[in-house]
Amino acid sequence: MHTISWRSVGPSLDECIKCNICTSYCPVSAVTDLFPGPKYAGPQAQRFREVGQPRSPDHSVDYCSGCRVCNAVCPTGVKIAELNARARAQIVKDEGIPLRNRLLGRNELLGRIGSYVPHLANFGLHNPLSRLLAERVMGIARHAPLPRWSVEGTFGDWVKRTQNQRLRSDKKVVYFHGCATMYYEPFIGKAAVAVLEHNGYEVIVPPQNCCGLPMLSNGEFDAAHDYHNHNVGSLAPYAKEGYPIVGTSTSCTLTLKDEAPELLDMHAGDPHELKMGTWDIFEWLRELHAEGELRTDFEETEMVLPYHAPCQYRAHKVGKPALDVMSLIPGADLRESHARCCGIAGTYGYKVEKYQIAMDVGEELFSFVRAQGSGVEMTVCDSETCRWQLEHGTGLPSRHPIEILAAAYGLYDLGKRQLRVCRETPSRFQVDSLRRKVYQR
Amino acid sequence: MLDLLVIGAGLAGLTAAYTAAKAGLRVCVIAKGMGTTHWSAGTVDVLGYYPNSSAEPVQRPLENVQTLIEAQPEHPYALLGTAQLSDALKAFAVLTGEISLPYAGAANGGENLLLPSPAGAPRPTFLAPLTQRAGDLSHPDPFLIVGFRGLGDFFPELIAANLCELGYDARAAFLPIDLITDRQDFNTVQLATELENRGRRSRLAAELKRLVQPGERIGLPAILGLDDHLAVLADLQAQVSASVFEIPTLPPSVPGIRLHKALCRRLEELGVRVEAGMEVVGFRSGGQARARFGSPQQVEGFVQSPIPNPKSEIRNPKSLLWVASETTARPLKHHAANFLLATGGILGGGFDSDYTGRVWETIFDLPLTTPQKRSEWFRPKFLDPAGHPVYRGGVRVNKQFQPVKADGAPVYENLWAAGGCLAQADPIHERSLEGIAITTSVAAAQQIVGSGWARGGRGSGSLR
Repeated sequence: MHTISWRSVGPSLDECIKCNICTSYCPVSAVTDLFPGPKYAGPQAQRFREVGQPRSPDHSVDYCSGCRVCNAVCPTGVKIAELNARARAQIVKDEGIPLRNRLLGRNELLGRIGSYVPHLANFGLHNPLSRLLAERVMGIARHAPLPRWSVEGTFGDWVKRTQNQRLRSDKKVVYFHGCATMYYEPFIGKAAVAVLEHNGYEVIVPPQNCCGLPMLSNGEFDAAHDYHNHNVGSLAPYAKEGYPIVGTSTSCTLTLKDEAPELLDMHAGDPHELKMGTWDIFEWLRELHAEGELRTDFEETEMVLPYHAPCQYRAHKVGKPALDVMSLIPGADLRESHARCCGIAGTYGYKVEKYQIAMDVGEELFSFVRAQGSGVEMTVCDSETCRWQLEHGTGLPSRHPIEILAAAYGLYDLGKRQLRVCRETPSRFQVDSLRRKVYQR
Repeated sequence: MLDLLVIGAGLAGLTAAYTAAKAGLRVCVIAKGMGTTHWSAGTVDVLGYYPNSSAEPVQRPLENVQTLIEAQPEHPYALLGTAQLSDALKAFAVLTGEISLPYAGAANGGENLLLPSPAGAPRPTFLAPLTQRAGDLSHPDPFLIVGFRGLGDFFPELIAANLCELGYDARAAFLPIDLITDRQDFNTVQLATELENRGRRSRLAAELKRLVQPGERIGLPAILGLDDHLAVLADLQAQVSASVFEIPTLPPSVPGIRLHKALCRRLEELGVRVEAGMEVVGFRSGGQARARFGSPQQVEGFVQSPIPNPKSEIRNPKSLLWVASETTARPLKHHAANFLLATGGILGGGFDSDYTGRVWETIFDLPLTTPQKRSEWFRPKFLDPAGHPVYRGGVRVNKQFQPVKADGAPVYENLWAAGGCLAQADPIHERSLEGIAITTSVAAAQQIVGSGWARGGRGSGSLR
């Protein structure tokens, strides 16, 4: 059994001055009193989680969604979210993990199995009867926005299929696609490859597996440890060679950079090399631009784009790089959401007892989107589960900023979510096919 | 490139950002966490007691500031002078009007207001939000102080008893908390949100109407709405037919949070981003890199960072090129033509200390006037009217609000400081915390706008 180390977070609880700023910002305790707030579940309960303590003193920590708003607003630097993550792991260690959480933690396995027979899998999962069953038997909320398997093959298939058409260059970048891009949304990966190649970079897609975050957030540290070790094995050599490892999933890149090494106490050697070599794709593109190397041959647009920075950026602590880069697109009317969280928080909103909490938390974001008026055709967000939640909560399609960027370069159709055969250069990019097609929830 | 990077999102940082952005500068604010506004009463204290030993509160602070300036020529107020100080406060009052959080008109023709504290003590303050005005102790209307059973840290009986002691007519009452919330567990911010609901408000109003006697004003904990507080107050007053006011609570303090949120909203309109969760851990000045917790490896990382066009950037060896904030991997560089330090004092996180008594400024390790021996921090008597030396210590600045070295020369040509980190003030004793934050940050921002350093950078080409 993996030992849960409190070494790097324990001392930080002494920094807590009980000012309650975290409690006043916590989006979860704002909508439910099942979670008393970060201060109580974090630094305060932590004093009772001493070694040798037979049971965790505070099961309400299970209701922490891990959004890290508390960390960002804490004026004294207490690692509250990390304390909570460890406390959840401790509960799993003491009491075992429910089958449902085991399943939700294995989205890579589910993704792979479903991708063999995507039509069947989609039908099997997305019909009211099986959703009802899943809710009753497993506790997976029946209205929660589960993704659909890609019916046009996985991202890996596409990479293999188009190998000969890929750009070769001295400038190379490694792409970490994550499970969602692999099995559900290969078009995100295609857009990323298109943008990177457009900027003259050869894209390397090494073998990789799940980053392990779903397991970490469900407290399954052992299994997550194996996953991370595999990724370190296949990616760290690139990092050591100086190749940047970029990812489109803000949660995967966060896990490689921080969650895994931090929670699993893998601080030195190869895991550290991987940590320092990993970038969120927009963090990296922003840096490219700062060095004057990002192509800015964008087409003009008049689109109104409400943008929600996913919670993981708060943990990356890199500001809002997607917003910075998208603001280079001439005419793009970007509206920045200040909503604290979309609510879904990875696997949190899929759990039947937490579904409504997640929707209530998300209401701040959904009403922000509604307030932007009827001219809004889509929302923009970097994280896949947040986008699914946004679509679920607003009824509007949601896109990854890399799709917006690819479209602005003229490489991508935002409505059909596919690459354009050849780069077209109309004077404005827009979403023709989307206008014709009424979006169906 | 940015014209100004403000470090710190308290009252000083946000006011400086506003002043500079309004003047057309490209500004960004970064902060380690949310500012100390969240702990404050949301009022603007300018000068409450002078001299410090005086038991009587100051009545006309601007007049006493003049005497203070003559007696303490190094006090931050002395760097401004009364005219500039008064202008800065007026500008702030105008700003509060712009952000629908009116403090305007609160200054009683230059006189301090006396407001009841959560302990029922008189608190001299110069500007107060509309929701607190009716608590002014300068008029004799009797008080009904209402608390809620279950709401911690707000004791109407204590407040009323202390007001009676001072000669006011005051009584206390308790209402059940389930009038305003169904929650088992709650804080002031959540209660404030609950009262934005009309139904809840009407239930509270009905109970208050039952309790209140003609002529009484009602003091409630500061939970009367968050964003929509003006409407909440007006509606309550109309329904109860009595004047209602808020008494600030212990943190989280809703009036302080309202001010913070409203200022941030205004800044966004002006195109200023406010980023919390960004702790500055290093910086680079004219060719040298420094990490705050300077291990060689960390410094190594900073030096490696590529700087696109070093020749044009290092225009002055004594200038700052960038500061870097901590991320989960590599430090994030923030380039700007000017940097304003508004990280506050000991409480705000601007200073830190260790057991030996060493006190240091946490970002640039600027020279401090603070005694560096623990034995010299405090006078023997806890309540010594002269205050304690450690609280007067801070960053020494010149008239342009640039931190200076012992010889009086600026530490960096493009670094400025304002607010709680400034030396030679004892804000808690003087009751001058927000007054210093606002007036010095307006003045510093104006100096930046007026200096040749603003907009002097390398054109575009960088997002930050």
